Amino acid sequence: MGVMDYFKPISTWPVEKVREFLDELGPQEYNLVDVRTPQEYEKGHLPGARLIPVGELESRWKELDPNKITIAY
Amino acid sequence: MRSRAAASIFSREGFREVYSMEGGINAWKGLVAKGAPDAGMAYFEPVKKTEELIALAWLLEEGSRKFYAEMTRREKDQEAVGLFSELLADEEGHKTSLFKLHQTLSGQKPDPGFPRSLINIEPGIEYLEGGMLLSEALEWVRGKEVRETLDLSISLEVNAVDLYIKMERKVKEKEARQVFQALSNQERKHLKRLSSLLEKR
Repeated sequence: MGVMDYFKPISTWPVEKVREFLDELGPQEYNLVDVRTPQEYEKGHLPGARLIPVGELESRWKELDPNKITIAY
Repeated sequence: MRSRAAASIFSREGFREVYSMEGGINAWKGLVAKGAPDAGMAYFEPVKKTEELIALAWLLEEGSRKFYAEMTRREKDQEAVGLFSELLADEEGHKTSLFKLHQTLSGQKPDPGFPRSLINIEPGIEYLEGGMLLSEALEWVRGKEVRETLDLSISLEVNAVDLYIKMERKVKEKEARQVFQALSNQERKHLKRLSSLLEKR
């Protein structure tokens, strides 16, 4: 992997696509990650989302299965 | 903004399929999503040599420094202004570390053309960490709440940590690895401080 992959566009999914995806699959089959603050998470989050604030991600990404489709918001 | 930065970490660590949700939670609730500056759309020619990586890192530090400098002028939230001032001073220090590293490795007299002589980037174009254009980022935060400025700043720092981790893994020179490691640790501290401020707002 080249360092310049860093500048590759990040793939995004529109909300409709995420909705469809979550409807079709069970929560065991994907990683849905809320990367906002705990306060923001408390105010409302997507069903089944797991909270990992982005500042903690470098030390916590190992908690997730890299083989599952991963959606961050 | 934060979710894209997060997605880049997952991708770096080899997660098989990673997506960032467009528009975030607001879009999910049916609220109109505000267009964010295009991150990661910048095209750079492949950078391979250590000296090119150093030059790129320097340019991105300079972009971040200018962003924070402008925020200290525009932002009304005094605690945020204080933090941005400290961050911009740190980014200036990072530029110095990178320049010194370049000199150590090249073993030559100071190169007046550094860093642009080493890397093929259009003159006058300035980038931030993550590949966002400085001009677009400054336009985007105009008139926004401090929360949104912090959101963008957090994304910059996440991308900075990410970049230095990647660079450290890529280079062979011991001196370069040490500098990149130190820089990634410092950017991580920035990230923590910005995150705690956002939690209070």
